[in-house]
Amino acid sequence: MTTRLLINGRARDVDVEPHRTLLEVLRDTLGIFDAKEGCNEGVCGACTVLLDGRPVSSCLVLAVATRGKPITTVRGLERDGDLHPLQDAFLRHGAVQCGFCTPGMLLTAYAFVEAHPHPDRAAIREALEGNLCRCTGYTKIVDAVEDYARNRCG
Amino acid sequence: MRMIEGGHGFAGDPRAVGGVGGHIGAPHSVVGQRVVRHDARDKVQAATAYAGDWAMPGMLHGVVVRSPYPSARIRGIDTTKAAAMRGVACVLTARDVPRNTLMTDVPGQTTTVGPLRAKLHVLAEDRVRHQGEPVALVAAETLEQARDAADAVEVDYEPRPGVFDAEQALAPDAPKVHDEGNLLAHWRIARGDVDAAFAGAAVVVEGEYRTQFVDSAYLEPETGVAWIDSDGVITIRLSTQVIEHFRDVADVLDVPQNRVRVIGAYLGGGFGGKEDVTVEVYLGLLAVKTGRPVKMVWTRQESLLARAKRHPYRLRYRTAAAKTGEILAQDVELLGDSGAYAYLSALVLLYSTVTACGPYRVPAARVQARVAYTNNPPTSAMRGFGAMQTVFGYESQMDRVARALGLPPADVRKANALRRGDTLPVGQVIETHCALPELIDRAWAGLGAPTPPRAPHAKVGRGLACNLQPYGRIVWLHDWASAWVGFEMDGSLVVRCGCPDVGGGQASSLCQIAAEVLGVPIDRISVHIADSALTPLAGTTTASRQLYMSGNATLKASGELREQILGVAAKLLETSVADVDLAGGEVRAADGRTMPLRQVLAACARMGVPRSHLAVYHAPAGEPVDLTKGSGKIFPDYTFGCHAVELEVDTETGRVRLLKHVAAHDVGRAINPMSVEGQIEGGAVQGLGYAMMEEVVLEDGINLTTSFASYLIPTTVDVPDVEAIVLESGEGLGPFGARGIGEPPIGPPAAAVANAIEDATGARVTRLPMTPERVARALRLLT
Amino acid sequence: MQPFEYAAPASVDEALALLARHGADAKVLAGGQSLVPLLNYRLARPRFVVDVNDLPLDEIRVDAGRVRLGALVRHSTLAASAVVARECPLLTEAAALIGNVRVRSLGTVGGSLAHADPAAELPLAMVALDARFELRSARGSRTVEVRDFFSGYLTTVLRPDELLTSVDAPPTRGAGTAVEEFSRRPGDFALVAVAAIVTIDRQGRVENARVAIGGIDGVPRRIPAVENALRGEPPATDRIARAAELARAEVTPQSDALASGEYRTLLAGVLTKRALARAVSRAMAVPA
Repeated sequence: MTTRLLINGRARDVDVEPHRTLLEVLRDTLGIFDAKEGCNEGVCGACTVLLDGRPVSSCLVLAVATRGKPITTVRGLERDGDLHPLQDAFLRHGAVQCGFCTPGMLLTAYAFVEAHPHPDRAAIREALEGNLCRCTGYTKIVDAVEDYARNRCG
Repeated sequence: MRMIEGGHGFAGDPRAVGGVGGHIGAPHSVVGQRVVRHDARDKVQAATAYAGDWAMPGMLHGVVVRSPYPSARIRGIDTTKAAAMRGVACVLTARDVPRNTLMTDVPGQTTTVGPLRAKLHVLAEDRVRHQGEPVALVAAETLEQARDAADAVEVDYEPRPGVFDAEQALAPDAPKVHDEGNLLAHWRIARGDVDAAFAGAAVVVEGEYRTQFVDSAYLEPETGVAWIDSDGVITIRLSTQVIEHFRDVADVLDVPQNRVRVIGAYLGGGFGGKEDVTVEVYLGLLAVKTGRPVKMVWTRQESLLARAKRHPYRLRYRTAAAKTGEILAQDVELLGDSGAYAYLSALVLLYSTVTACGPYRVPAARVQARVAYTNNPPTSAMRGFGAMQTVFGYESQMDRVARALGLPPADVRKANALRRGDTLPVGQVIETHCALPELIDRAWAGLGAPTPPRAPHAKVGRGLACNLQPYGRIVWLHDWASAWVGFEMDGSLVVRCGCPDVGGGQASSLCQIAAEVLGVPIDRISVHIADSALTPLAGTTTASRQLYMSGNATLKASGELREQILGVAAKLLETSVADVDLAGGEVRAADGRTMPLRQVLAACARMGVPRSHLAVYHAPAGEPVDLTKGSGKIFPDYTFGCHAVELEVDTETGRVRLLKHVAAHDVGRAINPMSVEGQIEGGAVQGLGYAMMEEVVLEDGINLTTSFASYLIPTTVDVPDVEAIVLESGEGLGPFGARGIGEPPIGPPAAAVANAIEDATGARVTRLPMTPERVARALRLLT
Repeated sequence: MQPFEYAAPASVDEALALLARHGADAKVLAGGQSLVPLLNYRLARPRFVVDVNDLPLDEIRVDAGRVRLGALVRHSTLAASAVVARECPLLTEAAALIGNVRVRSLGTVGGSLAHADPAAELPLAMVALDARFELRSARGSRTVEVRDFFSGYLTTVLRPDELLTSVDAPPTRGAGTAVEEFSRRPGDFALVAVAAIVTIDRQGRVENARVAIGGIDGVPRRIPAVENALRGEPPATDRIARAAELARAEVTPQSDALASGEYRTLLAGVLTKRALARAVSRAMAVPA
């Protein structure tokens, strides 16, 4: 059925079979590879996107069920082609290694700091608990989010 | 100290670079800087095209049909129903494979070593030996159709008795996994008079330890796309640590090796699990059979079910020490589980054998190591590669020796630490600086003030553990790597190197090295990696070898290119080569004159002087020998490290909460300190996963942990911040004195945690992972 | 995933009509955090999926002296609700322990309860709270007490044509409540979880205690032996500990890949003690 998806502020009318997950439609139908498939059961967080501003596992959402709701992928964080300050913090702190978890990690962290502007390290760790990273050991990711949150509020 | 071929190396002042032709380029402007990696910029924007982020017109989807049984005879396979299903392009079984044998001994190498030879069938013929063993392949228009057809392949299995434990596999009446018997490999080291040393010891400590199956658990499962290119070359773009598997694909397909091209995408993690062949042979078969592009993405379940694991070990140690804490002898017996196929088991076991006594002087040692076939999932390479399991053994023993003698564990380790000139039990002389005492002091001090327990039932303890990890491949393999560095006419630079980038910053480091030598801003460099047809081959991204090997090749190529360019520049400026330099993207003369690089490059073109250079770096080489007679050099060199942890034990439940982790390594030289810290922090946390929670649970060969909900890897809240301490002795064999640091940090955490648990509670845990339940047992909370 | 027909009705009646028509061939899709993994792995192959997310069932309100949660209240909403924190803080604590942030974004109260995982937080909390469930179908509606709702591992008394529309529980003002959960890794399903609700009388003795345990049997359940041992007693540490020990005798858990039954039994005792201790200290802090 034709379904209107709102991806990074752009409406896309897509012919979607009801049994397709949002992750499948993004990757296989639309060629948007921003979300990664790591487990297909909502555990790893690599497929995280924001739905209505909240992090969700795009592998556990039917695409048809997202009709009309704003979806943000990692590219939706950028402003006029410039990196979002959170992306920049990930770069400066060396928070990226293989990068497979990075889009999901960025979106989860972004949504968290929007809702909790003054987090401490423990709160950041709690917030990112559902996004697995196998490379970094998390220290530099927490550094980056902490730095971003601090600078964001001046 | 040895000089790297090509004249790069260090003497005296470790900051001084001995450049080609004696040019001194210090201080470094790019090497040693916290450079933001080019690939990181792509990755935060999701611009990196991983293997799965690839689609082609008319692409089919491939699926592997796998055995549900750990041990069975195949009486027959009926594919007619599956082949007739809608959308199915082909169904393949062993009969359809031109050469159904795959060599799996030392991936990517051009030198073979008899005792390491190993092979398996691409698709099972008359027997399956582990759950998940590939039996057939399906390609169809959609993934669903391929999966439906895979379900419809009818395999007539006759289940057979299996053996699921290495000890039982070596019993005389055990079912044979392979006709030649279940003992796959056996290594022995004998040095000094072990029995006399034990007889004269003040203390003898005995311990038995067990480690578990674990999975690489990279976030990106095994993935690739294959197509027949317009020139007929079979092209496979995938997530692999070894593009040289193009040779294996060609052998299986029975085509010349130059008709297969492997392109290595930036990986979503490797950790050794993508060292062996994964999807490429299957993709090659399906693409050739159908003539169409084919994609294959293993599910997480499939990856956890069927991919090779880390070897579980039983380690038995007897350690003899003098009253002073001096280690007099080690008597070590190792037994590993190879699972159903050999893969790299013999080599992994060799790493264990060589490292079994740790980074210590051990005058008398007897090491007996065996690895056996079972009907468990195969085991092979994983970060640490056999030098990891042994750390849990020897570092648990070191703490017990210290405890038995009433000496501080740190002091006992420092007193026995290897020094330059000491000889390992295997007969290899340590030729570089071993900074173990300093690493121990810095790691221990890094723990800072003690943390008070949070509750009456909580106890806090501290522990440390050291390790040595080889970097670079065993010298028997005659390892080499090549790299090409060339200027474009505008002064921008291209680096080509066959090195796959697993996420550790391999490609970026090559850019830094070239930038340093050639004075080119790093953002003016493009690096092309991991294409078996278009980049000079550089070997595997394994064995902590790429910075060492490809780094040296890039350094050599850059140095030679620099000489070529400066020779021309000196002529143009009518001065001597010694008085010109490359910096800031221009030529600078000692007298202050400058010349734009493009002017020099134009002159090079006119004069027929190449603007590029291809260099090959050869690692130290040696021939296989009988280890029992002492072998001399086995590995090029070693990286040393020490980790210290502080933790809190809940004495009512056995739950361990990790509080602090300090990880110190002598990396020789940090080309990019940010990347080095990243390797240390990430390796330490993988090591903590091994210590605390990771375990592939098998019940008679059936895997009970085939999801990320049951195979547990650490999350942000399971681990503390890791403080990485980076020591730079300048003593490594890599570029600018660097040592390998990819694998070393994964080794020490498990032993450090076990030692800290004993420090907190007096209870010793000898089995991994140290789950709350196992700790509760050690605390005698359970019967 | 296997293909299926899909509808997203806008009204409860429309949804019930669809369920009446498709019955056992249909699956109700709420937050999808349990259903979609089953679909992804083809462990569930419904012919019809009724997406109930558009139904007006996401209200939290206090109604006739009970806290009523619409079936579509998301875990994140539950965790953040001021009304719930005031009236039923056990649910606030339980909701915060559920899964990870993505599960809490989409997962619903009704979905979790209908899925009936014995190690999940909300079923346990509802057992401790003596909740009631409203079940509706095209044939009418019925109210089911929590003790009758869960019928076994991943099963409830919900009929194929029925929809769980709301759940309500008495407020616990004046009581102290606590949830203790033990999982191998935070965010994962619990090996064992215990919920406790304690009220203290004017003499400082335990007036009433309710203790529920999950992760042990096919359904979460109360442990009357522990509750009875505390009633009328002063809530001293040693008495709590002794009462909690009774929990160990009341359970016979199974072993699995994550933990042995013996270890779960140990945890049952420890977690009961800790949940009671925290509930008591909170009850003591309640102004008389």
